[in-house]
Amino acid sequence: MHEYSIATSIVETVLELAKQQNAKKIIEVRMKIGKLRVISVDQLKFSYEILSKNTLLQGSQLNIQEVAGSVKCPNCGYANEIETSDDSFHFGMPSMVCPSCGDNLSIEDGYECLITKVRMLIPTPEKTEVTDDSTIDA
Amino acid sequence: MTKTTEVITSSEGEVFDVELEVDILKENQRLADENKRRLDSKGVHAIDVMGSVGSGKTSLIKTVISKIKQSYRIAVVEGDVTTTIDSDLIASEGVPTIQVNTGKECHLDANLIRKALDKLPLDNLDLIFIENVGNLICPSEFPLGSEKRLVVISVTEGPYMVVKHPMMFLGAQVVAINKTELATAMGVDPKKLSADVAKLNPHATTVFASCKNGTGINEVIKGLGIGSK
Repeated sequence: MHEYSIATSIVETVLELAKQQNAKKIIEVRMKIGKLRVISVDQLKFSYEILSKNTLLQGSQLNIQEVAGSVKCPNCGYANEIETSDDSFHFGMPSMVCPSCGDNLSIEDGYECLITKVRMLIPTPEKTEVTDDSTIDA
Repeated sequence: MTKTTEVITSSEGEVFDVELEVDILKENQRLADENKRRLDSKGVHAIDVMGSVGSGKTSLIKTVISKIKQSYRIAVVEGDVTTTIDSDLIASEGVPTIQVNTGKECHLDANLIRKALDKLPLDNLDLIFIENVGNLICPSEFPLGSEKRLVVISVTEGPYMVVKHPMMFLGAQVVAINKTELATAMGVDPKKLSADVAKLNPHATTVFASCKNGTGINEVIKGLGIGSK
């Protein structure tokens, strides 16, 4: 359910950027979202589509790259992607116990929620070489 | 607000790519950090209480307060979609309570807590319990600025609460497995739930609790580092 409030932040952030760049239309928004975030990509896209209506974002693509969770052991230096004990669950249950020394692992990646790129349409720059008055006919 | 790192213009000069790195949840994190600083400056410890609907969060807070209210100056922030039922219940312990109704949102956020802190007498408090909206999913995405997290689950929710909601337990210092007096009737083994927590988060203290008969309440208090004064 919280995808709606996250989508609101995305739309607000992109609209502000569009204003700064004087954009006519937003074509694509790219994001990186960590797999440890409890964010449903489908719900986020759905909310984004609804919130985009009647804005510069209408019809734009929200493309999301998911980032795997990774852990590091502060004790022995073990580093790897998070191992899940059971893939039958939607997220899989990660274990925070270091398989090498048994200490508590710390999370390195997987909590990202970043906008990484915005593709937009901006007005074509006006030609500046026109200096002759006679060319400015109606 | 936005950090622009690179701008590429296409040959037509119409399609424009802005590459950036904007953390969408940063604003909540910033406000949470601000709440934390504010609480630290007043020497107030805040504890998040999270768990699903009906797990017994309010009862556990109430029972804990009844044991420690002589030693600590306590306040409670109650998050719910609507009603003041929970804050009325807690207020019967004689501590200040603030009800935060989120309306349609499924979680508290740092901004709502900032507003709640404005209404609390921080100079005269030692401890704040922040009870989140009953939900094991969304609240884990929105830090509030608390020092510790207590997650409350109950045997009446069945044997798979931990494995189905792993993210909530990763950041918890204490996990209370509540309503243990009903474990046999429910056919749920609290030890299995406890083993699931240990696998996910070996540093969390797991407590078998019952607000009905008082089991584990002292262990919850100890696990949260509250201790007796």
